[in-house]
Amino acid sequence: METGFLQEQKVLEGDLNSENSHQNSVDFLMNWFRKQSIFVLAYGTGCGAIEMPPTFTSRYDAERLGIRGAATPRQADVIIVSGYCSYKTLRRIIRTYEQMSNPKYLLALGSCTVNGGMYWDSYNTIKKLEDYLPVDMYVNGCMPRPESILEGFIALQKEIGEGKASSWQKYEENYEFYRKNQEAVLGKKVEPSYEADWYLYEGGL
Amino acid sequence: MFSEIKNRFATDDVEVKRKGLYKVVVKHERLFALIVMLKEMYDYKTLNTITCTDWIEEGHFALTYIMTTLKRNETFMLQTMILREEAHTKSLSYLFKQAQIMERDLHEMYGIKFEGNENLKELSLENWVHTPPLRREFDTLEFVNNHLTFRDGRDDNIDTKAESKRLRAIKKAEKEAAKKAKESKKAEDVQ
Amino acid sequence: MILFDLLFMLLVAYITGFLYYGLYRNITARFQRRLGPPVWQSFLDSIKFFSKEESISHGWMFYLGPVIMMSGAIMTLFFIPLFHTGESFKGLSSYGNLFLVLYLLVLGALGNALAVGASGNPFGVMGVTRGLSRLFALELPFYISVIALISVSGSADIVCIAASQTEWNAFAYPLLFIAALFSFVGMMGQAPFDVVGAPVEVYSGPASEFSGKFLALLMSQSAIFTFAKLVLMVHLFLGGASGFVELLAKSFGLFLFVIAFGAMYGRFKTPQSIDFLLKVPTSIAIVGLILATWS
Repeated sequence: METGFLQEQKVLEGDLNSENSHQNSVDFLMNWFRKQSIFVLAYGTGCGAIEMPPTFTSRYDAERLGIRGAATPRQADVIIVSGYCSYKTLRRIIRTYEQMSNPKYLLALGSCTVNGGMYWDSYNTIKKLEDYLPVDMYVNGCMPRPESILEGFIALQKEIGEGKASSWQKYEENYEFYRKNQEAVLGKKVEPSYEADWYLYEGGL
Repeated sequence: MFSEIKNRFATDDVEVKRKGLYKVVVKHERLFALIVMLKEMYDYKTLNTITCTDWIEEGHFALTYIMTTLKRNETFMLQTMILREEAHTKSLSYLFKQAQIMERDLHEMYGIKFEGNENLKELSLENWVHTPPLRREFDTLEFVNNHLTFRDGRDDNIDTKAESKRLRAIKKAEKEAAKKAKESKKAEDVQ
Repeated sequence: MILFDLLFMLLVAYITGFLYYGLYRNITARFQRRLGPPVWQSFLDSIKFFSKEESISHGWMFYLGPVIMMSGAIMTLFFIPLFHTGESFKGLSSYGNLFLVLYLLVLGALGNALAVGASGNPFGVMGVTRGLSRLFALELPFYISVIALISVSGSADIVCIAASQTEWNAFAYPLLFIAALFSFVGMMGQAPFDVVGAPVEVYSGPASEFSGKFLALLMSQSAIFTFAKLVLMVHLFLGGASGFVELLAKSFGLFLFVIAFGAMYGRFKTPQSIDFLLKVPTSIAIVGLILATWS
């Protein structure tokens, strides 16, 4: 078994090179449409969010591949977990992910989501994102440049086109597993409360 | 001003770090009187920050209040020691409004109680039940090992410096061997 | 026969609307010095949204809202003839005149307001509040211009107005045209009057709670509605159209102008846009009305 860097690389590349799955023509057509049009939730969770604006604007122009931003989770297909993910952010990511409508995909950016990255001994950051939420595609690097993000998107499009990107089904089937892991780090109450305390006290926060 | 502080508050000499930056260590019970005096008589109207240092060997926290006057562009650092076991002091929020959130932060990270501060809720953590994370008895690595799982492959990470040195040595040896072989071949050709 | 006419009009509006929307995205991208998506990208988007699953429910009014909007758009389309000459593609225009069309233009906004109110999404409610308050300011100059045109041509029938132009109304009554054009830019949701769906302020506004099939319905609705409004403007001001080529050329020219206008300007605040619309275009329209009806 490979260890270290090789193991990480194996996780990243997954079963990209495996053979085509058999799908009927309707599925093929639907997947083709899904592949051509990807709405990405405009939500940055870590330092990697800074690489997303150049990806979507004039310099790298992801819109030419059919990838564009969506303002609300209801309309989005892809959520990007960009970089380190603290407990507090994880709560919000879980809520946002569950608000999105199926089929939905999750793209994880940066080494921090793969194995903790430079926050490997931090008490407040999770180390393996796939324990808490199903991940379709990892893009490693610290930080990945917009080229790498685009490459990740193209790989994701390929998976969608072949009907293999089905993390949302995985999440529904193994919900107990994910919920157990989430509760292990976040406590019994996983979702953040809606009440904001900043207006309850004099002087705000 | 310095002699007055020394006499009235029984401190050591005021240390002049550089021009316009002073530091004094004051006893905890006289701290607030000194802050009031600095604020009212010497125009130190701004409280920049409150910081805390954990002296676990001596058994106390060192709280540092940093105050500034814009009138003369001077900064005053007031240091005071509080016991680690009690970790209890008075709030400054009635003098400076901004002290409220600074104390909230210190309470969250060090577990220091500030009497008179009405909102000491968690600021950036959520539902934290373990030791306050910036106390030195809190072992981060142990916490991580107990609570979180790592992906396999971190345990064999190698010292990159030693590794690159070793690789360089191998390369060098190869090069030299090639050179030698070339030279010997040349010598053969000449013969 | 009339059924065939209506279906054909719907098909033309659907395809042309989506093509125009794709061109809008592409041309805006060129304005921003990037390649932009292909022309059929919006069509792909809408098909994808039709294939998504629904996971939310906000009661029957929420489901009904997009339907009301869609029917409003289709009705507007049906009551506007495609050509002012000939017999075919008149739709239902002989059964209703310009006043009915003006009324139907508002129906979509009302359906949207009802649905968003049922959903209770705060950003949606903010967007609808902005939209309704802007609507009144938007319609005042447009209505004044249209009333002036009706009084000049002596008829409220769109075909008659289009046919009565010896010289284009846009050149015969330039003030009326300018005033109506300001409102038209707002009606198309372009800058500087795009306060309703402002992405960074109210998170796509009224559409923020719609997902999947509802969003696809809204996209189709906006495509059809855009085409209907363009045809209306062509008939009112640009001399009407007697063939497909003429119609497409005129409406695309108008559309290109609106896109360029939107790409050049930033966004007004809501009160600013209402202020501007109530002051500048309305006064231009009133002056135009007086000049047009003086003699």
